[in-house]
Amino acid sequence: MKFSLKRFISSVLAVSFTVGTAGLLCSCRRGFGADAEGKVKVVATIFPMYDFAQKIGGDKVAVKMLIPAGTEPHEWEPSTNDMLMLEEADLFVYNGAGMEPWAEDVLGSVKNKDLVALEASKDVTLLKTAEVHDMEDVHDHEEEHDEEEHEHHHHGEYDPHVWLSPKNAEAEMEAIAEALIAIDEANADIYRKNLEDAKKQCEDLDSAFREALKPYEGGHIVVAHEAYGYLCREYGLKQIGIEGVSADQEPDAARMREIIDKVNEYGIKCIFFEELVDPKVAQTIADEAGCKTQALSPLDGLSKEDIDSGRDYFSVMQDNLKALVAAFE
Amino acid sequence: MPLILQYEYMQRALFVGLLLSVIVACLGTVMVHKRLSLIGDALSHSSLAGVALGLLLGFNPIVGAMAICIVSALSIEAIRKKLGNHSELAVAIVMSTGIGLAGVLSGFVKSSADFNSFLFGSIVAISSFEARLVMILSVIVLLAFVLLYKELFYISFDEQAAAISGVPVGFVNAVFTILTAVTVSIAARTVGALIISSLLVVPVAAAMGIAKSYKTTVLWAIFVSTVSTIGGLVLSFYFGLKPGGTIVLLSVVFFLLFRVIGYLREKHSVKKGA
Repeated sequence: MKFSLKRFISSVLAVSFTVGTAGLLCSCRRGFGADAEGKVKVVATIFPMYDFAQKIGGDKVAVKMLIPAGTEPHEWEPSTNDMLMLEEADLFVYNGAGMEPWAEDVLGSVKNKDLVALEASKDVTLLKTAEVHDMEDVHDHEEEHDEEEHEHHHHGEYDPHVWLSPKNAEAEMEAIAEALIAIDEANADIYRKNLEDAKKQCEDLDSAFREALKPYEGGHIVVAHEAYGYLCREYGLKQIGIEGVSADQEPDAARMREIIDKVNEYGIKCIFFEELVDPKVAQTIADEAGCKTQALSPLDGLSKEDIDSGRDYFSVMQDNLKALVAAFE
Repeated sequence: MPLILQYEYMQRALFVGLLLSVIVACLGTVMVHKRLSLIGDALSHSSLAGVALGLLLGFNPIVGAMAICIVSALSIEAIRKKLGNHSELAVAIVMSTGIGLAGVLSGFVKSSADFNSFLFGSIVAISSFEARLVMILSVIVLLAFVLLYKELFYISFDEQAAAISGVPVGFVNAVFTILTAVTVSIAARTVGALIISSLLVVPVAAAMGIAKSYKTTVLWAIFVSTVSTIGGLVLSFYFGLKPGGTIVLLSVVFFLLFRVIGYLREKHSVKKGA
């Protein structure tokens, strides 16, 4: 056959077009895929929910995380692909308490009648969000907080970062286990067993925190945004947030001064920043007060590298504990 | 020493804010006379595309932002010449391109954490590296402005006449286009895009309300932008207001005030004349 340049070029084009299109289609497809067959299909919103569902469900469930790694969950909105995934799913696990203000709208527009929606924080006693500028009254507020019930879950009214206390994590995993058992009775024993293991780990984590932080009770930590209310309540610490409960605002000059003064007054040696919030402000305060900076993870936006390398709730919380202890030492 | 000066971050905010407000008023005067008052918005949006490009291709995102800003500014300059009466379209077209490009490119950036940290600028959180960068930039911009003042004056008065009488119009325009691009890309990350795009325009617009010459326009613009910056920082420090917004609003107050003064003065002189 005589070589024809024209035919050669057109066949190359045809092949590359086909391959390219196929590649595009594959990469766009985010559904559950073939290996999810016969498993309970779970869509979880943020990393802690994803991780908890994975821990309880084991290999009986296929879990997909809705909010991509490294994205600030307060800002995220679902795409059409995400909606398709929800149409396929059996269980939708969201943290609630205002973490995913879009959850209700999204659920309202999903046609999937069999989809069970679980607000994992439903059995947690929620903390009301304190006014950022009321640091002086932290004491009085805290006592009130303990009696707060969670009748309404409006965005911004409660601190949504419940999982940062191991006890709450345990409650969220219990709720997930309940939901899984209701959906998939046949594997109930496996879910119960996984829950028992996870509970044990939560208790170990809780006592590790309690023991290690005991000497520093009443101590102050300066954090990027006030996500650590539950952790502080549990272990007798007080947080000073550069920002309020929601991240990503520019601080004002008075707030900066207030924090710098507190850092000097309490002899705080470390300013915590978090991955998804720019460390510039934390660094400025640290420079001014002559202290160091350190990462403290609120876990909601764990990076993809971290997840791929097998980091989970417990390992990140252990690192947080180390960072906290190092800050007080 | 007053309380406000006892903190290093405030010293830095006042110092860097002062430097930037002077050079931005100078550059702003040039840009407003060229009918490119929205160039700050266009460039700060385009710089996002540069940040994304830098993160994707693995070079320093700040360099990426600067490069894209320069390319955008030069494109504005080139398109502007072709459009004649509709020169403001050039800004809109480049801004759309920049936003579009940033949108597409940011889809490929894996972690929004990286992306965010290159977009965020706050006048109360300036690093010492950024402060040094602004110092160097200010010297260059002020030198260029003083050395090329006569040429600038000519060009803003009548670009064609200036060219005929031997002013190197292309060169002067290119210098200020590049300087504006570099200033916006650095300042957007240092003090925030809001402050920089507003201070390029509002103080000049205020100054034009009362100034009678090019020179007094420049001087009044510098006055408005420095007083707004310092005033905004003081208000933010003592009353807990957000610094960026406060600075911008103060400059708008000056704009209104100067317009009223200009109006009253005109009325007065008309009466006198009659």
